[in-house]
Amino acid sequence: MPREGVPIDIVGLTKRFGPVLAVNDISFHVEPGRVTGFLGPNGAGKTTTLRCVLGLVTPTAGTATIGGRHYRDLPDPVGTVGAALEAASFHPGRSARNHLKAMTHGAGVPDARIDEVLDIVSLAEVGDRRAGTYSMGMRQRLGLAAALLGDPPVLVLDEPANGLDPAGIAWLRGFLRDLAGEGRTVLISSHVLSEVQQTVEDVLILANGRLIRQGLLHDLEDPATRGVLVRTPTPERLRDALWEEGMTESGSSDAMIRVTGSPPAAVGAAAFKHGVELHELYTEPSDLERTFLELTTEEAQA
Amino acid sequence: MSRLNLSAEESVGHPGIGHLVRSEVLKIRSTRLWWALLLGAILLVMVQAGFTAAFEGQDQGFGETSVLPSGDSPELVRTVYTQGFFAGYIFALILGITGLTGEYRYQTITPTFLVAPKRYPIVVAKIVAHLFFGVLYGVACTAAAIVAGGIVLVAKGFDFGLTAEGVPRALATSVLAMALWTIFGIGVGTLIKNQIAAILVGVAVAYIVEPLLGLVLSVLEIEAVGKYLPTAASTGLFESFSYGQSLLAWWQGGLVLIAYACLFALLGVLLSVRRDIT
Repeated sequence: MPREGVPIDIVGLTKRFGPVLAVNDISFHVEPGRVTGFLGPNGAGKTTTLRCVLGLVTPTAGTATIGGRHYRDLPDPVGTVGAALEAASFHPGRSARNHLKAMTHGAGVPDARIDEVLDIVSLAEVGDRRAGTYSMGMRQRLGLAAALLGDPPVLVLDEPANGLDPAGIAWLRGFLRDLAGEGRTVLISSHVLSEVQQTVEDVLILANGRLIRQGLLHDLEDPATRGVLVRTPTPERLRDALWEEGMTESGSSDAMIRVTGSPPAAVGAAAFKHGVELHELYTEPSDLERTFLELTTEEAQA
Repeated sequence: MSRLNLSAEESVGHPGIGHLVRSEVLKIRSTRLWWALLLGAILLVMVQAGFTAAFEGQDQGFGETSVLPSGDSPELVRTVYTQGFFAGYIFALILGITGLTGEYRYQTITPTFLVAPKRYPIVVAKIVAHLFFGVLYGVACTAAAIVAGGIVLVAKGFDFGLTAEGVPRALATSVLAMALWTIFGIGVGTLIKNQIAAILVGVAVAYIVEPLLGLVLSVLEIEAVGKYLPTAASTGLFESFSYGQSLLAWWQGGLVLIAYACLFALLGVLLSVRRDIT
């Protein structure tokens, strides 16, 4: 489906809540036609950044624009950006259908669209139930339905996989990729890397209000940069074997020998050929995974 | 994925105030609160109007100024029938308070402001929608007061008195005053985002602070100020029994209530527009 892409641009965005610097001078660009993952531990400033994009929070400095306009200045906000922020932004006593209807009435979207979006997220049969009776996964899907009401070219979803079961996450993955495939801009946040690892193409990592990594997921996970870690009772014999096979050792510790530039199968084959006993052999985590692990460990220690 | 797309003639519209009013009316209508509050109001109104009619001509126990006029005086009839307002306005106030604080409580304020990011049209639409429900409350409560109070009056051998001096105007103005009190509620809800706190403060101010303030002012012999307080201004508007307190003329009382409503509405707009929604 041909449609003109609408990018999101963040320039020098800073938000201070009293003494707390929630977002600290971040800049990035979100491309249409791709799924972009906005990652970081809880409290990193992801939600505040998204709320600045959506005009719900006024930045202390910097700008957040959608297709060059502030959200507040969009002539047709619901038809431009679909957003789902908390999984529980519903009145528990109001039915899902009425929740959506309050939005379609307000935005001037035809009511027929409600059945369409309920159908897309598989809530059509329970649409008349009060939202307070919904499970976490159903609330997530209702949030997604609300975001789709205006058939927008931009989707901003905060932790959309939270509370979904594995089947739900698999469905969401395909759905978001299809939306991006239609040329839409899809920005999703998550504090769990594995939830989005197979979904996103571009990655932004936020920690303590600062953007610490950005780029293609593919580059950040590049296997060529990942070492193979080997444990052996006879490290000197393994070093000789590696040298004879023309393999490179770098960054080894006392316990493990680290081989770079060779796949794990080749390292194993070299050890076998030279009769070296191995106790452990594995590919180390990618840069992305390591960064993320460090961040979440810091968070746990803090 | 083609089902995702709206056909060209169904393109999404720009949110206009008429759309937003429809949306706000639906929000009130689609939960059980509005009719639960109205039911409570009607029951209280019937009790209070019935007792007021039953005690016509009698001392309420506070001395000379608390003797109710007798059942054949238009002032008593006005007092009985405007119990629709006096017993019901607190429910209209609460409806107004929850109109905004409920959105903060359940975080629906996020989708609400996403639909209309300039925000002031939302506050305006809420005011219009609540005025509509306030009129509905006013009509229902006044009708309840007429039924309960009128039956007691007739049983005691008096007339219904619906056309007695000042009564039609008191009926009409008590409906309108009820509607204005929903706007006071929206103002309170803007100032205090926490729903429980806002309701407690709203009820406390109306039921405790204002009467005490009126009392203090009358002891200090500056009643000229006391009659401008919202409940006293409402009493003046209906020309109902005031326990000896001096009142504004009916039209002055009405203007004072409208001024309060404008103040609260302005407050609601100004405070909502730039507030961070976190």
